[in-house]
Amino acid sequence: MSEIQDRLIRCFSSVFPALTPEEIRAASAQSLAVWNSLAAVTLMAVVEQEFNVHIDLLDLPELDSFEAFQTYLRRPTRASGADRNQ
Amino acid sequence: MKLIDALEVLKRSVVDDAPESKVHLACSFTPLHLQTFLAAQLRIRRPRHRAVINTGLFGDLAGSIERLDPSGIHALVVVVEWEDLDARLGVRTLGGWRPSSLPDIADSAEQAAARLRRVILKVSRFVLTVVCMPTLPLPPLFWTPPDRAASLELHLHQIVGTIAASLSEQPGVCIANAQFLGEISPPSQRLDLKSDVIAGFPYTLQHASALAGLLSGLIDNQPLKKGLITDLDDTLWSGILGEDGVSGISWHLERQTHMHGLYQQFVASLAGAGVLVGVASKNDPALVEQVFHRSDLFITKNDIFPFEVHWSRKSESVRRILDTWNVGADSVVFVDDSPMEVAEVKTALPELECVVFPKNDYQGVWDLLKELRGFFGKPLLTEDDSLRLGSIRNASPWRDSMQSAASSADDFLRTADASIAFSLTRESGDARAFELVNKTNQFNINGKRLSESEWRNFFKDPAAFLLVVSYKDKYGPLGKIAVVMGKSTERKIHVHMWVMSCRAFSRRVEHQCLRYLFEDLGADEIVFDYQPTSRNGPLQEFFAALMEGPPAEKVGLSRELFSKNAPPLFHRITKAVHV
Repeated sequence: MSEIQDRLIRCFSSVFPALTPEEIRAASAQSLAVWNSLAAVTLMAVVEQEFNVHIDLLDLPELDSFEAFQTYLRRPTRASGADRNQ
Repeated sequence: MKLIDALEVLKRSVVDDAPESKVHLACSFTPLHLQTFLAAQLRIRRPRHRAVINTGLFGDLAGSIERLDPSGIHALVVVVEWEDLDARLGVRTLGGWRPSSLPDIADSAEQAAARLRRVILKVSRFVLTVVCMPTLPLPPLFWTPPDRAASLELHLHQIVGTIAASLSEQPGVCIANAQFLGEISPPSQRLDLKSDVIAGFPYTLQHASALAGLLSGLIDNQPLKKGLITDLDDTLWSGILGEDGVSGISWHLERQTHMHGLYQQFVASLAGAGVLVGVASKNDPALVEQVFHRSDLFITKNDIFPFEVHWSRKSESVRRILDTWNVGADSVVFVDDSPMEVAEVKTALPELECVVFPKNDYQGVWDLLKELRGFFGKPLLTEDDSLRLGSIRNASPWRDSMQSAASSADDFLRTADASIAFSLTRESGDARAFELVNKTNQFNINGKRLSESEWRNFFKDPAAFLLVVSYKDKYGPLGKIAVVMGKSTERKIHVHMWVMSCRAFSRRVEHQCLRYLFEDLGADEIVFDYQPTSRNGPLQEFFAALMEGPPAEKVGLSRELFSKNAPPLFHRITKAVHV
C-alpha cells in the first residue's frame, strides 16, 4: 500500500468514521448514503489540507469515490505535497 | 489544528453518562468546519463532557437569535460577519456597489447592528453569550484606493466597535478580542472565497481553527492564578542593589532599562486588580526599604505583601509567602531573572508556575507581560479585589488566635466587633460569587469548577438559591468571602457548592452560614455534595468536628447535630433577600 493511500484512508476515516479501511477503499458516493454534500465538502477540505493541494472546481464532480481521489492525487500535475510521499 | 485532527478528536468515544454541554452556534453562513473545530476544541478542553453544537437557520442571524429558546443551552456563540449588517457587504449576495448605494448600506448596517445588540442583550440574561464581531475583510466596494480608508469603511468599523463596547459591559456577554485573534489568525489569511462561493463557508481552515480555539476558551473559562511573587534585582529594576546602590538601580529610557519600568507598571496594575503581589529577594532589607521611598518607582510598598528580603534560599521565601497568603503553589506565578533561582524554586515547589525574567530582551519582556495577563486576566473587577491585600496584611491577629486555646479564641472573637451580611438571591449575576466558586480550594465541599454557562444554568431551576456572605470586623473588611449554592425543597436543603475564602478562616463564618440555612431557610436537614479532595483539608476538618467523625460523600447534617456541636457565635448579622 502506498503512503498516499494510507493518508487518503485516514482522510476518509475522519469523515466516515464508521467505515473500515477495506470499506473505504471501495467507497463511492453511489454506494454510501452518508456521502452527502456536507461530507463531500468536508472530504475535499480535509484532502486539500492533508495533501497541500487545491482541488479545482471543475474536477470536483469526478471525485466521487476513493479510487477517484487516489487517481486525482497521483496525477503528475498535482501539487508536490502528494507526490513527494509516494 | 488541521481539520483531519479535529475530526479525529471528535471520533474519540465519551462515556455514555458524560454530562452534555450544549452550545448554540449562531452565524448566518454555513457553520461547516467552524462547527467541527469548535466541537473538537471543547472536547479537548473538557474530555469528559459531550459537547453538542447546535446551529440555527442560516441567513438571518438576528432572527435566529431572537427565536432561540435558551433553556438547556450552556452557551450561545454569535459569530457576526459584515454581511449580517447588510447583505451587500458579503460576497454571495449581489446587490450593487454603486457609490450612490453606499449611504443606504451604512444606514441599513446601523439598523441591523442595533437590532443585533437588542437581541443579544435579551438572550444574554439567560445564557452566557460569546460574541465575535466581523473577522473578514470588507469587500472592495469603496471608491477610494485600497490603501486609503473610505469614510463609510471607518463608519462601519465604528458601528461594530460601538455595539461591541456596549455589549461588553453586560455581565452575561463576552466579546472575542479582535487584537488577540489578529495574532493567531492574520487578517489577510482568513477569507476563503472559493469555499464561500461553493459551500457558503467563508473561512480558511486556519482561520476557522484559530477562531474556534478563541471561542472555546471564552466558553470554558480556566481557573486564574491568585498571586505573583517577584524578584527585585534585574527584575523589578535593572541593577544589583547591593552593588549599584539605591540611586544606581534604574528603570528608565535614558539608561536603556525602560522595560523594567514597564514591568513595574504592569505588576502595579495586577495589584490594583486584586492580584496578590509578594517579593522574594536576596537583598539587604534596609536598602530595599530605601528604594521603596523613591518617588519615581511605579509600584508602591502598599501594593506588595509580604516582602521576603534576606539571604536565605528563594524556595523558603516563596513557601513563607504562600503560607501568609494561605494559597496553594499552583495558584501562584514566580518571576526571577536568575535561571538558577527559578530552577531551585521549581524543584522545591513543582506546582508553582516559574518564569525567568528576560532581562535585556525587549520582546521577551513584552511577551512575558502578555503571558502574565493570560494567567491573571479576569472578566470583571469587583469591589472585593481592592480589599484582598489589605485583609491579608491585617490577618496576623487572627492567625495568632487560631493557635490559642478555645476559651481565649472565644474572647478574641467576642471582642473582634465582627459583622456578617447575608445576601440571598436566585440570580446568577454576582461576578465575585462566581469567581470565588472557581478559585477556592481549601474550604470547598467538592473542588468542582463551573463554567459561566453551568453557573447560569444552575439558577434556571426555581428551587435554586445563591447565598453570598460578606464579612468585616474592627481589623477591616474582607468583602464577599463565602458562597453557598443550593436547592431548597420542603424542609431539606441540598448544597451543591459551598466555598469560603481562606482569608475568612477561624472567624466561624462557616457556622453562621449553616445557622442561616437552618433558621432562615427553614431546613431540618442539609445534604452536601461533599467530595474529599487533596486540597480541601480545612473543610474536611470542619465537617469532622461538626459531624463527630469523617463525613461520607453526600453527607447530611441535621439541625439537632448542628445545634449540639456549633461553637458560640458573636457576629452581628444583617440579611438581604433578593428573590
